[in-house]
Amino acid sequence: MTTIETLPEDAAGDGADEVERFPGDPDMWLFVIFETLVFTSYFCIYLYSRTQHEQAFLEAQSALTLWLGTFDTILLLTSSWAIARCVQHTRAAQYGAARQDALVTAGLGAVFLALKIVEWVHLIRGGHTFTSSEFMQHFFFLTGMHAVHLLIGFVVLGVLVRQVADPQRRSLTTIETCTTYWHTVDLYWVIIFALLYVVR
Amino acid sequence: MTSDKSALAGPKRELWFAWYVTVAFYGLYSVIFFAVARVQPPGRPWLAPDQTVDWFADRRWGLLIGFALIFVLGGFSAVAIALITYSIRRMSVSPVFAYSYLILYAVSAVPGFMFICVAMTCGAMRPERDPVVQQWLYDLGFLSFVGTMGVFLIGSLVWMMAILLDKNGVFPTWFGYLNLCNALTEVVIAPSWIFQRGVLAYNGAIGFWVNVPVFGLYTTVFIILLRNLIQRDDLGTGPLPEPPPDVWRRARPPVEAATS
Repeated sequence: MTTIETLPEDAAGDGADEVERFPGDPDMWLFVIFETLVFTSYFCIYLYSRTQHEQAFLEAQSALTLWLGTFDTILLLTSSWAIARCVQHTRAAQYGAARQDALVTAGLGAVFLALKIVEWVHLIRGGHTFTSSEFMQHFFFLTGMHAVHLLIGFVVLGVLVRQVADPQRRSLTTIETCTTYWHTVDLYWVIIFALLYVVR
Repeated sequence: MTSDKSALAGPKRELWFAWYVTVAFYGLYSVIFFAVARVQPPGRPWLAPDQTVDWFADRRWGLLIGFALIFVLGGFSAVAIALITYSIRRMSVSPVFAYSYLILYAVSAVPGFMFICVAMTCGAMRPERDPVVQQWLYDLGFLSFVGTMGVFLIGSLVWMMAILLDKNGVFPTWFGYLNLCNALTEVVIAPSWIFQRGVLAYNGAIGFWVNVPVFGLYTTVFIILLRNLIQRDDLGTGPLPEPPPDVWRRARPPVEAATS
């Protein structure tokens, strides 16, 4: 994730008034905290359900393809790296490179989503549907909610690309805000991957 | 509220009236649904017909008295929706947002708010009817109330977009994002049509117990923000008078400053 940096509060200041600055709009961080609390409650409910029916969850979980989940995770982590470079390039006023980074991020996100749809179709054809077991209910719910967040992420990336491309609109704060959202969506996936694919 | 008496005259006073009606409406709604009619938290979706008859008998007078009050006073929800619509009209965005919000909520209030009152009152008024019919009314009531959140979802997104695009500073940006959080929890309600048991059923851990605190917080926040709006409103069309200084924003540099 983009690091919290220290910037001078006042250009005329002597340095004593330096404050820590959140990257992006602080309002987006409130969204991140709140939405993370909601997702945390989903994860807690999943873990509680798992403790109640551990054997059934294990059996249903065996239908998942671990390497595919791992590949999805690598894709999204790489997209996070690309969007972090987008911020770096923006800060260095290298807007062409920043735009390329944003497009790479969107591309990786699109591949992730395509693979997720392939995985869903594969599972459904194998008889593992939204209603076939309690584990699959959680699986389709959590991955589906993540996919909804990812779709919103594409809109956010559209805003970012427009900001980078248009000198009149260009704002580092907005670009960092969009990046914060994308990192958050990636964070949710990492936890979903750990809980649904890895924990046995 | 401001102590300036002149500020309480005319349209400002009418806005305050609308705000107090909004507070009263949501207070009444909560008390009736949770304490009088006891339809929240929702009943169990898997009840058999005979159990449904018992459910209606157990809270018959609560349903009748509670929903009679809703039939008399529920129309005040229009004032709450109108006040929110006014808040969008006060923004710098196109009136299309306000009209969309108004129409969405006017239409969705019928299945999302009135159907449960009609179905549950019908069940309570006709205890001698076939238990299967009673079970049908029970399901209709809860599924219409919970399962139609998709329309409200679009309303939240319309409000969010208006807030994020607004240049008049009517609401803080974080409230726009909170609208998105609220909309996303309303997506979660859709599976309640499929599941009669489990976490996604309409009385489930996710279907109800996660969503209701989010909605409760959202409602409380927008009522407070509407109050702040009326306090700051100069009844003009331009930017609202500045809110108190926001210490969070003082260190935000333009892109050039960060790159230099």
